[in-house]
Amino acid sequence: MKNILQNTLSMFCGLALALMAADDAAARNVDLSTVPDRATVQLTIYNSEDLTLVRETRKVSFKKGVNPLQFSWANTLIDPTSVELHFVTHKEKLEVLDTTFPHDKRQMLYWNVQSELDGEATIEILYFTSGISWSADYSLVADRDEKNVRFEGFVCVSNRSGEEYENAHVRLVVGKVNLVQRIADLAGIPVSDVRRLGLDARRELEERAAKDLCDKCESMPCEAPAAAAPKEIIKEGLSEYFLYTIEGTETIPNGWSKRMRSLAPVDVPLKIQYRYREAEYGPQLVRMYLMRNDKDSRLGTTPLPDGMVRVFRDNGRDGLSYLVAQPTKYIAIGDKIELNLGSDPEVIFELVKLRVWRDNIWLCNHGTSVYYRADEPGLLVEINSSVAGWDDHAVYAQRVRNYSGKPIEVEVRRGFGGHTVFRSSLRARSHDYHTVEYTAAVPPGKKADLLYEILQHQGHNATQDNVTVVEAEVKP
Amino acid sequence: MRRGLLLVLAILPALAALTPEIAQARIKLITLPVRQRVEIQLDHPNATLVEEERIVPLVRGVNQVDFSWANTQIDAGTILFRVLPSGDDSQPVDAKVLSVSYPPNENALVWQVSANRSGSARVRISYLLGNLQKSFNYRAVASRDESSLTLTQYIRLENFANEEFLSTGVWAGFGPRFLKPIGINETKQMLMEKYENVPFRKTYTADPQQFGYLDRPKNKLTVPMHYVLKNDKTNRLGRTPLQFGKVRIFQDDGRGSTAFLGEDWGRFTPLDDEMKLYVGTAQDIVVVRTIDRNRQKRVTGNLYDREVIVKYEIENFKDKAVTLDVAESVRAIRRELGVETGRDVEWRLGPETTFAGGIDREKSDFDRVTLHARLPARGADAKAEKIIHKLHILVKNEW
Repeated sequence: MKNILQNTLSMFCGLALALMAADDAAARNVDLSTVPDRATVQLTIYNSEDLTLVRETRKVSFKKGVNPLQFSWANTLIDPTSVELHFVTHKEKLEVLDTTFPHDKRQMLYWNVQSELDGEATIEILYFTSGISWSADYSLVADRDEKNVRFEGFVCVSNRSGEEYENAHVRLVVGKVNLVQRIADLAGIPVSDVRRLGLDARRELEERAAKDLCDKCESMPCEAPAAAAPKEIIKEGLSEYFLYTIEGTETIPNGWSKRMRSLAPVDVPLKIQYRYREAEYGPQLVRMYLMRNDKDSRLGTTPLPDGMVRVFRDNGRDGLSYLVAQPTKYIAIGDKIELNLGSDPEVIFELVKLRVWRDNIWLCNHGTSVYYRADEPGLLVEINSSVAGWDDHAVYAQRVRNYSGKPIEVEVRRGFGGHTVFRSSLRARSHDYHTVEYTAAVPPGKKADLLYEILQHQGHNATQDNVTVVEAEVKP
Repeated sequence: MRRGLLLVLAILPALAALTPEIAQARIKLITLPVRQRVEIQLDHPNATLVEEERIVPLVRGVNQVDFSWANTQIDAGTILFRVLPSGDDSQPVDAKVLSVSYPPNENALVWQVSANRSGSARVRISYLLGNLQKSFNYRAVASRDESSLTLTQYIRLENFANEEFLSTGVWAGFGPRFLKPIGINETKQMLMEKYENVPFRKTYTADPQQFGYLDRPKNKLTVPMHYVLKNDKTNRLGRTPLQFGKVRIFQDDGRGSTAFLGEDWGRFTPLDDEMKLYVGTAQDIVVVRTIDRNRQKRVTGNLYDREVIVKYEIENFKDKAVTLDVAESVRAIRRELGVETGRDVEWRLGPETTFAGGIDREKSDFDRVTLHARLPARGADAKAEKIIHKLHILVKNEW
């Protein structure tokens, strides 16, 4: 079922038409035209923008002289500024004289082609369209012991462009392409308005962004293989992008989506870590699956495009447990794969503030720059003075209770403002100038009280804005 | 009876099935593989995973398997289709999913599945289903002497998913697996665990910051009574964390029946933690709280030490002795005195504190202090002895 108006290329026939200028053609009420079918079509779909480069070829018969060609794309999302005509065969005998966008018909243009050829030639029409998109997603099933994850990747192509591209060669571009104006916006306005906006330079940018990727398409296989096996998706790097080429051809009718496997299932080794990083995961201890996109992990053949990751686990009862679904950013080859499974009810994480005190209190005589310590021996009380500097101390117990039945590794990253000293025997380290990181292992069924003291210099005592880590024993 | 989910198998020529036009064809022969097994996995806190197995007849070549879920809330992105290894079939069908197509404006998808020979394959389809929710609730029956109780935990499954499940396995991630039919709009409650002779503590608490005053002009504190259960093996619990849920509390009335005492929300209680259930206000224990002393002593400049005494006049009109937990927040006391600055202060108990045993370290921290007072039963003349306790706090270095 085709529920769209297919874009068409019409060639005006007849002796008179051969000499006709484009404006005449547009004004004529009685026309005769032929409609050459598409011979091939190739889609290069970008996932970072609503952008697809369409490259289609058609066979057209030319007569010597001027041949008007009409190209229309009613009810589609084609960017009129992007439409180009090239000649694949008989290039030396064919030339585009001019291109006309009629003022009264929005989604149409005319080319006048000067031909020295009297016969058939293959032409190629290039344009950008909106409404075709692709996305990646991943399905992960951890084994019962959570040592390995069965990792499988998919790509899903959706066509909401208003046009059906039959038997199209499909290429998917992984990476961020720069566009200065959305194709969907351009598709909705007449070309005259586009030009008024001064978009010529923009058009050039858009074309350049996509053309480099298309040059590789010339050698694309044309025949689909016998279809008993899932189609292979060939992945190759190109400049700052990665190109996925779907084997054979695909027809995705308007409105439909199609999901294909992009990564055959592999067992990827897995590490579990519990993390507290408030800036990244909120104020909770979360359970993480850590993997790597490299060859040691049986991955590493391609970057992993942005996409939704759905994680399940073998529940040991001939079934699955659902763990989480979360979007992931682009993961380069060799980079880490980190999945946040959320909090674990079997691991209790509590921060207990045990005690506080103040010392090193300095006062300042009013109206002077004279300071003295409050606990100075032989101190004379000066009524007209105020506290100007002091140190706040607080002792905390980071309590971790592990009921998971397995030993766990906990990593805690906490930020502190102001001039701070972090004292502990936890072998902590500075993650950055105001964040401290430490790790601990907690055996199954055990409780760990990770003690530390925070000293914050306040008022006149504060001379820095950073945290210093000091190894020291802290008592509760 | 409505059925939302439908799996149909369209028998189509092998290569032609690759093109989506086939999925749009309106004339086709279909078979309807029925569910062989269904499992509802409720082990995720916020999502329900349904797994169903069907035996799908496949022909050699490419087969089209349609799956539709009209009027149900299946998360299409979570649908997994797996061909299971066959049992003792010496020549199993080697089936592979080639692709999945999603038609526009329909809750449906079409799998293209290739098979190396004609035969049946057992497939498992897993998906998250909305409006199929679980909750937990409890019934606690205390003994006549309020020393132990029987705690019964139930799981309640509410099926508003617009889908009927015949003889379905249900598992909450712990406890038993149930095999039950669950009809549309049906709620099914099942017994999860029964804990008998669970010892518990009955507590009375005077905590003005948490529970406020019963009579503010007379400075009478509200004294709630709680049942406190510890979720550990020593106290005959401790098998799993106790899930959040409503707890209805009854007491053996000594005449072969039970009396309803009240109900409370039981919070999620990990192992070794306490579930504290508010049963009601104890009006037979009267606690009048006053600030008895508020003095400051200049150290130097605007630096002061402060001395505060909170006085409690306590009467127990019960006919048995009880222990009263008294809890205070130093920050709240300073707020009450108008000297709270938002900064934590150093403090310690002063020598005039009268509570025997001192601070309960387990229930105290840098700000909160918990102490215990033993209250004798009222006398034979029905008069209660007035007991006076003092909490003496020394705050250092205020300004």
